[in-house]
Amino acid sequence: MTLSKLSLRNAKRQAGDYLIYFVTIVMVCAMLYAFNCLVFSKEIHNLSGLLDNMTLMIVLASIVVVFIIGWLVSYTTGFMLSRRSRELGTYLLIGLENKQVARLFFLENLSVGGVALLFGIPFGNLLYQALRAILLTMFSAPYHFHYRFSLKAIVLTLLYFSAIYFFALFRSRKRIRRMKIYDLIYFERQNEAELVKKSKTRKTLFVISIILGIAGTLMLMAATKLLIGVIGAGCIIAFIYGFFTSFSSGVPAYFERKPERKYQGQNLMIFRALTSKLATMGIVMATISLLFTATLLTEGAGMVFNGIFQGRLEKNAFDLLFVSDQESHVEQCLESMAEQIPLTASWQYKLYQGVDDSLVTYLEETAGYYPFSYSHDYNSGLFMAYSDYAALRDMLGLPIAESEPDHYIIHCMPYLEETLSRWNQPLSLDGKTLSQGRIYTEQFAQNNWNGNGHQFLLIVPDEACVSRPILRYAVAAMTEYNITKEQYETLQNSLFVRAMDGINSLKNDWDYMYSKASLVREVAVWSAMSSFPLFYLALVLAMTAATVLTVQQLSEAGRYRRQFELLRKLGMDSREIRKTLFRQLAIYYLMPVIPPVMIAIPFILDLCNAVEPGTMVGVNSPPVILAVSLGLFFLVYLLYTVIAFINMKRNVLPDHIS
Amino acid sequence: MLQVRNIEKYYGNKNNITKALDRVSFDVADGEFIAIMGASGSGKTTLLNCISTIDTVSAGDILLDGESIAELPSEELARFRREKLGFVFQDFNLLDTLTLEENIALALTLNHTDHKVVQKQVNRVAAQLGIEDVLGKFPYQVSGGQKQRAACARAMVAGQSLLLADEPTGALDSNASKNLLEIMTHINQNMGATILMVTHDAYSASYAGRVLFLKDGRLFNELLRGERSRSVFYHEILDVLALLGGDISDVI
Repeated sequence: MTLSKLSLRNAKRQAGDYLIYFVTIVMVCAMLYAFNCLVFSKEIHNLSGLLDNMTLMIVLASIVVVFIIGWLVSYTTGFMLSRRSRELGTYLLIGLENKQVARLFFLENLSVGGVALLFGIPFGNLLYQALRAILLTMFSAPYHFHYRFSLKAIVLTLLYFSAIYFFALFRSRKRIRRMKIYDLIYFERQNEAELVKKSKTRKTLFVISIILGIAGTLMLMAATKLLIGVIGAGCIIAFIYGFFTSFSSGVPAYFERKPERKYQGQNLMIFRALTSKLATMGIVMATISLLFTATLLTEGAGMVFNGIFQGRLEKNAFDLLFVSDQESHVEQCLESMAEQIPLTASWQYKLYQGVDDSLVTYLEETAGYYPFSYSHDYNSGLFMAYSDYAALRDMLGLPIAESEPDHYIIHCMPYLEETLSRWNQPLSLDGKTLSQGRIYTEQFAQNNWNGNGHQFLLIVPDEACVSRPILRYAVAAMTEYNITKEQYETLQNSLFVRAMDGINSLKNDWDYMYSKASLVREVAVWSAMSSFPLFYLALVLAMTAATVLTVQQLSEAGRYRRQFELLRKLGMDSREIRKTLFRQLAIYYLMPVIPPVMIAIPFILDLCNAVEPGTMVGVNSPPVILAVSLGLFFLVYLLYTVIAFINMKRNVLPDHIS
Repeated sequence: MLQVRNIEKYYGNKNNITKALDRVSFDVADGEFIAIMGASGSGKTTLLNCISTIDTVSAGDILLDGESIAELPSEELARFRREKLGFVFQDFNLLDTLTLEENIALALTLNHTDHKVVQKQVNRVAAQLGIEDVLGKFPYQVSGGQKQRAACARAMVAGQSLLLADEPTGALDSNASKNLLEIMTHINQNMGATILMVTHDAYSASYAGRVLFLKDGRLFNELLRGERSRSVFYHEILDVLALLGGDISDVI
């Protein structure tokens, strides 16, 4: 049998043993390819010029992925090497040279990688179709399924993959070349000693790591400068490693002090399963925990960014809105609109200056008042005549707001509703006193930079406005269909050209134009740019960590099997055997998740609250974002856990029990 | 205490049946030390596995204290094993991740013995077997003889009434073997344990009070030691083995 045949056969067997690892590599290959397709797709680039930035983000994310997966492959091959030391030793014993064995191992891993590529690319193409569909839908562009491969994307994927594999295999090659037959064959695995032996050092380390963890989380939350963020991240890394080494070293010490505890229930088996690989376990758990922390933070950030953009989008109700302090500009704009775009409705109106700044002061003092942007003109609030308000509501298809005589209406952001209902102050206009009436919170462009108020708007009877100074002239319109990017640009340009003619300077400070359709596109770009690469990274991180955990557990199957076989002979009943296995796995899988969840919860909630209030509401409210972030993460993690548990049950439990 | 009635055991499928045990019957009285001998493949280990309820018989019946173990449900069998049976294996079968003390205690924790009693019991048995100094060590840190004594300790610490040993001296040097066999004799004579030992080593078998010979799954002969000295008994065993046609290298 030739060397290559032998290695091919070994690779096949290896793929069976490390199926989860293999599936992860295939998935990563698929993701690399799919995102590479996005990078090279002309169709996607034509959607918006801004998407070029997304390409850059994806390439950066892919490079990070290459490093992470490089580590995974290197870790797993090192792991396989130690598990198969006896086999490799036998090769040396029958006369193969170290060089040949190293080549054998190299070929084996390369063929695993090659097969992964073979499966990964077609699957990646399907994944790309899904990404394409999402992006095109975000831009309201038509989607047609087509299964075409991109050569450039394949080449780039190959390049990434070679980088991953050469990095990992170079290391194992060096290791094999230095090995001696004796070491390989008599590689008896012994129990590891605790890393930190002195109980006082251990306690100090534990306390310090907890303090560092809290400090690091706070710093990440408060990070306004990059340096603080970096220090915070450093603290968290120190916390996780400190926590796991001191904790794992503390377990044997605990049972030494309370020997009777370990003889309770199944404690003995579980405790010894944990401590047999104490040193590596501490480090591996810490590394996995760190990967999980990164996963949750990136995923949470992706969700929050997406929420911010979506939240801002929903506030805007009109298809087109133009606001200016010059009446002529508004008229000119309406004229151009009517010429170029089929409108279903339009309404020209005025916004009047409020009386004083008492309401703004009240809001600033009581609620988390958060004007998206600030213009002093709006400091005393804005008034709108009731007739305008009714017409605009009608245009938006909102129910009629009943006007009560001698009352004013408030239209505000939902988050201000409660505070404003407690305001309840009368309004004096031209010697007439108006009391506070109903409050409405529908989307009414009350949140725009220069729209219908800064988060709130007061609606007064028409006659009460007569004496008020006019602050803004505005026109709102609804279009027959979503206007295209080109139509919007033409509209903007035509106004601009007229201004250049010298008739009027349209590019005035207070001229503000807004189109819902263009904002939808802008939001799509931002969402895609922030959440695509972040979710991509998060998924790869979670998969890597879960794979390391699972591969380690599954490779322990032989030892577990012997253990349970003996326990069965000694008379442990099947129910208890299953319970012990379940507990061993549960502890193993739960431990590394606890610190990341503790860090991620305050971080994500804080990130949500850093945005102006009223944005993160409904499906984007902080609890929902937190729940979805954790939910998505645990979904991926649970998948690996369940596979590991089923596999373990099959491989480990004596036949008739499983 | 143990009655084996006409047991048979077949392996394989319809077309290719191997008869591992063929109508084997014998009785074991309380406090006996019995050795089962035979060449490789004669069915010794199968017999032991059937008695220890790890394997099931194809026909026949095994009664322990008058109770048929074939009829017990699996939960009952597990309870039966942990309360009544002690095991000693050729390769010790100690868990690498547990110290000797914990390995011995395993039998008690399975019985949910009160944790205060556990340590006392373990220390008592360990002292009897002379391994109290190495209780805190892991199996890979002690000698084969010490490992096997720990296995013996585990087999008797919970007060098991029947000790089943499968080639207990197989992995030991002659000195350690002698030591272990003397310990087993001590357990049998002074502590009243019933021992059933499978071996193909005549020297080990000569420590027993009775030797059963198996050949091709059938009971071939039976030797009683009676009042004879151990060395006389040893030579008698060798004679029977010669008759059995066993490989001589297997015997010495």
